[in-house]
Formats: sequence, C-alpha cells, structure tokens
Amino acid sequence: MAQESGDLVSDCQFWLQKLSGWDQASTLETQQDTCLHLPRFQEFLRQMYEALKEMDPDTIMERFPTVRQLLAKTCQNPFILAYDESQKIVIWCLCCLINKEPQSTAESRLNSWVQGLLLHILSPFRFDVKEVGLFTQCLGYDPVDYYPGLLKNMVLSLVSELRENHLNGFNTQRRMAPEQVTSLSRICVPLVTLPDFEPLVEALLTYHGHGPQEVLWPQFFEAVSEAFLLKKMSLPASAVISLWLRHLPSLEKATLHLFEKLFSRERNCLRRIECLIKDSLLPQAACHPAVFRIVDEMFRCALLETDGAPEVLAALQVFTRCFLEALEKENKQLKFAFKAYLPYAPPPLATVLLQLPADLPQGCWLQPLQHISQLLREAVEAQAHGSHQGPLESWFLLAHFGGWADMAAEQLLRSEADPPAALLWLLAFYYSPREGGPQRARTMVMSTWAAGGCGWVCGQMLPISGPLRSPRGLYPGVA
Amino acid sequence: MDPLLQHLERFSEVLSVSRTPHVSTWDQATVRRALQWARYLRHVYQRFCSHESIRTTLDRQLHSLRKEGGLGAGTVPGLTNFEALAHCDILLSLRLLKNPALGDAACHYLLQQLFPGRGVPDADGETLQDSLASLARRGSAVHMLRFYGYRENPNLQEDSLMKTQAELLLERLQEVGKAEAGDPGKLLCSLWERLPQNNFLKVVAVALLEPQLSPRSQGEALELGSPQILREGSQDLVHWLLGKSEIMGAFCRNVPAGLLTSVASRHPALSHAYLSVLTDWSRHLHYDLQKGVWVGAESQDVPWQELYTRFQSLCQAPPPLKDEVLTALKSYKAQDGDFEVPGVSIWTDLLLALQSSA
Repeated sequence: MAQESGDLVSDCQFWLQKLSGWDQASTLETQQDTCLHLPRFQEFLRQMYEALKEMDPDTIMERFPTVRQLLAKTCQNPFILAYDESQKIVIWCLCCLINKEPQSTAESRLNSWVQGLLLHILSPFRFDVKEVGLFTQCLGYDPVDYYPGLLKNMVLSLVSELRENHLNGFNTQRRMAPEQVTSLSRICVPLVTLPDFEPLVEALLTYHGHGPQEVLWPQFFEAVSEAFLLKKMSLPASAVISLWLRHLPSLEKATLHLFEKLFSRERNCLRRIECLIKDSLLPQAACHPAVFRIVDEMFRCALLETDGAPEVLAALQVFTRCFLEALEKENKQLKFAFKAYLPYAPPPLATVLLQLPADLPQGCWLQPLQHISQLLREAVEAQAHGSHQGPLESWFLLAHFGGWADMAAEQLLRSEADPPAALLWLLAFYYSPREGGPQRARTMVMSTWAAGGCGWVCGQMLPISGPLRSPRGLYPGVA
Repeated sequence: MDPLLQHLERFSEVLSVSRTPHVSTWDQATVRRALQWARYLRHVYQRFCSHESIRTTLDRQLHSLRKEGGLGAGTVPGLTNFEALAHCDILLSLRLLKNPALGDAACHYLLQQLFPGRGVPDADGETLQDSLASLARRGSAVHMLRFYGYRENPNLQEDSLMKTQAELLLERLQEVGKAEAGDPGKLLCSLWERLPQNNFLKVVAVALLEPQLSPRSQGEALELGSPQILREGSQDLVHWLLGKSEIMGAFCRNVPAGLLTSVASRHPALSHAYLSVLTDWSRHLHYDLQKGVWVGAESQDVPWQELYTRFQSLCQAPPPLKDEVLTALKSYKAQDGDFEVPGVSIWTDLLLALQSSA
C-alpha cells in the first residue's frame, strides 16, 4: 500500500508538471500533447480516486500535498474535462477532499474552495455573449434547460457548413478554411464518444477539402477508430469506410480486431464467423480495391504465420463470400475490374473462380473444375521456375474459394468412372500446395485408391501429408 | 391528477426556495426529501412526455403558478414548464450547490447523494451522477467549440446562438398561448421593454423562419424546436409586429436586409408592412442638387444606400414577392409623373439603380 502510494506521489508530480505545461490548452502543441495523454491521465485519475477514497482529508493532504494544485489545474483544462469519464473522476476526487465537519476556518475554507471547483466543472461554461444570457434569463430559462439544445444547434451549424463546402466549393464567403477544419478535428478528439458529436464526426469523415493533403488531424482518426472498434460510438457505414480509406492504420487495426475475435476462441461456428465478419463492415469496405488488397494481404500473412490453420482459412473463405455478396449489391457507377482486386491472378482463372458455384447445376461441375485445375496447373508450373513462393500465390488464390475444392471432392465421389486426373490434381494441390511434382503424383494415386476403396462422406480426406481441411458447407448445394 | 398538480406546485416552491438564504434551515432530511421529490417528478416526466393532453394541463398549471409570482422580473422562477421536469433534479442540485447559505452538514450529504462513486446502478438507466457528468462534458464541448471552432455564421438564420434563442422564444410563446388567459402579445411587449432591442428583433426574425427539422416520431419527447411549436408561435409574432408601427419600424431598421427578405417571403402580411415602411422611408428623402444624391432632412432618416440595399435584396427574392415589389415601385414612379430623368422622383432613381445592377 505504501509502495503504491509512493508511486502515485511521483505520478502526481509528473502530471502536475505536465498540466502546468499545458496551461489552458492554448497553443497547437499543447493541444496535441494533451490529446495524446488523455487516456493515460484518466487512468491516473482513477488510481488517485481509488487511493483517496480510503483516506480522510487530513491524511490526503499529508500524503499528496500537491493534489489540490493538480485538481485545480485539471479543472482549467477543457480538453481533459471533455474526455470520456475524466470529469466524473475529477469530481469524485474533489469530493474526497471535503471535510464532513470542519473544525477550523481553514477547513471551512477548503470546503468552499472544493465546492467552487465542483461548480466550475458542473455549471456549463457561460457564454460571454451578454445578450444571450439576458434573453434566456428574461424568458425564465436556466442554462441547464437550453445547453443541450445549444450544443445540438452548434453541431448542426458546423455540419451544414462542412457540407456546403461540397456544393458551393467556389463560394468563398461560406467556405471553411482548411485550418479551421483541422482545428475542428482536433477539438473532436476528446469528444468522439459524445453522442451529440456524432453528426459532426460523420461530416468530418466524409469531408473532402479542395487540396491534395489530408486536412484532418491524425489523432482524430485514431480516436474515432478506437471508439468505433470498442463500440463506444456508432457510425454509419459510409463514414467508417471513409475513415479506413483515409487512414491506413485504422483499417489495419479494424482487421486485426476482427482477427482477434475470430481466432481467439476455440472453434467459432460458421454462423458466428459470418456474423462477426459482416458486422465488422470490412466486406462492404472491401468493394474499394485498395481496402480489399490490404485485408487480403493481412489474411495471407495470417495464413503463412499459422501455416494455413483451418480457422484462418475458413475466415478467409467466409470473408470472400461476404465480399462478393457486397460487391453484387453495390450497384454503383464505378465498377472496378476484377484485376483491381486480384492483380496477380491470371484473368481467365480469376473469372472462373469468381463464379459462384451455387449457380451451377450439379451435372455441370466437371467442366469448370477441370478448367480451373488446368489453369492453376499452368500457373503453378510457370511460377515453379521462379521463386519458391510461386505456387503459394496460386494456392492463396484458390484458397479464397474453398467451395471449388469441396465440389471437386464430391464430384470424385459421385462419378463412377475413373477419377479424372484434373480433379485429383486440384484436390492434392489444395491440401498440399508445397509438394513438388512427383510427390503430388503419389498423393493423387493414394487418393484414387482411397476414393475407390471406401465410401466416405464428402470432404473427409485421409491424412496423407498434413492436409488442410476446408470447412464444410461453405457453399449451398454442396452436401 | 390533483395530487400530481399539488406535487408540482410544492416542488416549484422548493425550487424557488433553493436559491434563497432560507436553505440555511435545511438539514439532511430536508435535502433528502427534496431530492426524492425531484426524482419522482423526473419519473413523471418520462411517463407522460408523449401524452399531449397531460403535458398541456401540467404546462397550464405551471404557467398559472408563474403568473402569480410575476414573470422573471428579478423573482426566482420555480418550474417553468413541463419540459423542465426532465432535469428538475439537476436544477435543484445545482441551485443547492451554488447556494452559500446551505449548511455544511447538509451540503456534505448533498454531495454524497449526488456523487456516490463508482458502480451504483440505477433502475432508470442514467443516474443523477451520470446526468451531471454528462452536463459537465457537454459544457466543455460547448466551451471548446466556442473558443476553438466557432465563428458567427454570416447567415443569421443558421447561427446557433440565434437559433437557440429563437427556439426558446417560440417554446414560451406556445406555452403562453395554450395557457388560460394566456397573452402572447403581453409577453412580447414586456420582453421588448426589457431586452436590448437589436438582439431581440434579430431573434424574432430568425424565429419567423421555420428551420428545417425532422418530423416528430411517435412517442418521442417533444423536443425543443419541433415544427409543431414553431408554426403556432410565429403567428403570435407576426401579430405583435404588426401591432405597433414603431415596432415594425425598428424591426425593418435593425434586421439585416437578406434576413428580412426571407422573412417577408415567408409571411405575406409582413411583406406588405415592410413595403409600406420602405415607402415611407423613401418619401422622407429629397434630392440634393449640389451633391447629386438623395439625402434625408433629419439624422434618423434612412440613407439612400440602405434603402437601395433593401430594395435590391427584395428584388432578388423569389416570386411573388419580387414581382410585387417591382410592381409597387413602378406604380409609385407612375404616380410621381413617370419621369425617366434621375433626380426628380426617388422611385425612378431606385428603379434605374436596380435595373443597372441586375
């Protein structure tokens, strides 16, 4: 306990210095620095409160002589008071300083001082516009009555100004200067989780200035990204996608966040995987080729790192399916060629793979499957002469569309004639991409024997060389 | 209903007293009771906020209570309207906190009640503690927007300060209008006498322009500034403006041209009055042959430039206003003798100037 207290005392000193430097958040640099430290400072406040609430006011003054100064400076900083729960914790800390039965004038004065600070935090900062105060008073209104409405109007006014810039780009009188937009995005950093600010955040995210540089503050993007991922704020999909398009780290964080949810538990059922992926809004965002490529790359990395773990493979396949569905729904004017999404895939291969297998009636599977197999084989053999990563490119492409492998297996089972080599090759490649030519031939022979020998349920492959299993039932129509 | 009305009355008194030195007699029990009452009335608000008839009745009751005490001329208001019930606990808490007369023990108890610390769940969802924290947070937000991001919107009808004041005014007018023996005109006259005229008239102008708002959904509380309130209140405003010529005159003088044109477009009765005021001003000017300009005889006469600006703004309005104005100008010109030469009839000169700028 004593040690914790000691740590807190030194923390107190640290933060007191910081606060003195920030003064009243007057300059750009101090504002920036304040915003960077907001979460840590709130954590510090929490720890302080936990310590203070166990002590009486006299003990507090002994252990933390600078606490009054610290709290007073905190109350002068609107950025801190605007952030999350900081204002509440500051109030709690202040309440700890109040003497229940003041014995001396000094203690009474301390009580008054604390009360004064509390009122300072709680009374909305009064506008220095005299007429407004007079007006509302005459009508019998208290600031508490109209402050929410005032905030709403201020936000609406700013939102309409931001939107105007779109329409009246050349109307210089109404246009907001870029510095003002930046300043606004800076103010939003502590306030992104305030529901009243949501329209403003949305307007900023979808605001496009007239210059080539990004005009919004980077910390703004980070704050929004974190708040959105932790579900502390709600945003329409268009705003989220805009966020990701403008700020790459947010997209990466969102994808990693999704991966954490998908791969942390034991086995998520397919339904849940699909839900999680759809809720993340990533499939929708992936209709922008840039987003797709980045998410795809992250999936590839995950597959490589986990050596092709089934969960990752399943997630990739569900993601691809959701993505294709979203693409279908996007009846936008701009339609990107598939090459934009899969630049390394040979176009004929990509086209065939992207066909949804469910559309094909069962009797017609053989031809496209053979075609795929042939194209893949050509691609693999062409790449085999290059780097050893070569086959993996093709395999990764195929891996997006696990349904084809399932169909190949089912086709193998159902056909009574000798299994076509193309299908065997496809399956062997899917499950063991790293095998060289002769090895794969052996796998194919073994599979033929296994398929002929016993009638097993589709998709169940005997472990010959560390197979990667594709999850079942990915595509409707496959049993 | 009656017990509820009684509660309202008593709580309104409590609220008034909470600002006076009388609270020095309050002890912990009193504070606890007051807070409980406030909490109860907050529940009442939540229950009845979508019941139109009950709201109206309660509003009427509160209005008559206020009337007896006089309207805000230095007297401390209690509950002002039904809407105030939504946060009556916050109102009470802040007033008590601000009151230096409240005893130490009572104050300490109050603070314990208001800020019990972490993890005290409440059946209604948001606790008083959270509401107060939220108020503090929003106050900071307003502060930050004001000092770091705000500038007065050149288009007054979109300026947030103006809009808020306008919404408050219309809300009051509606309450007064619905009350028994309520007299919106009287309210407006008393405001006219006590407030700085310039600001007040601009607020009136903004209030006369119906802002764009989403329609009220079923069950949602009547928000400050919903379209229903606004339409009713604006009729009272028009009526009051047209009542006294000096008020209309001041209105036309103080409100910027563009805003006034929008108001005139929206309210035909006002556009006629506006036009006759402008006509009157124009007739006060005479032509100074030496300087070659139209001037007024007295200092309070409206100068040529301002007249011209206002007419120009009107001529940029959508029809029918634009056409009405041009027709009127032409007919005055004809009455004066239909001269084409400048310097003889002000109407000729105005039309010439307008046409050349068009």
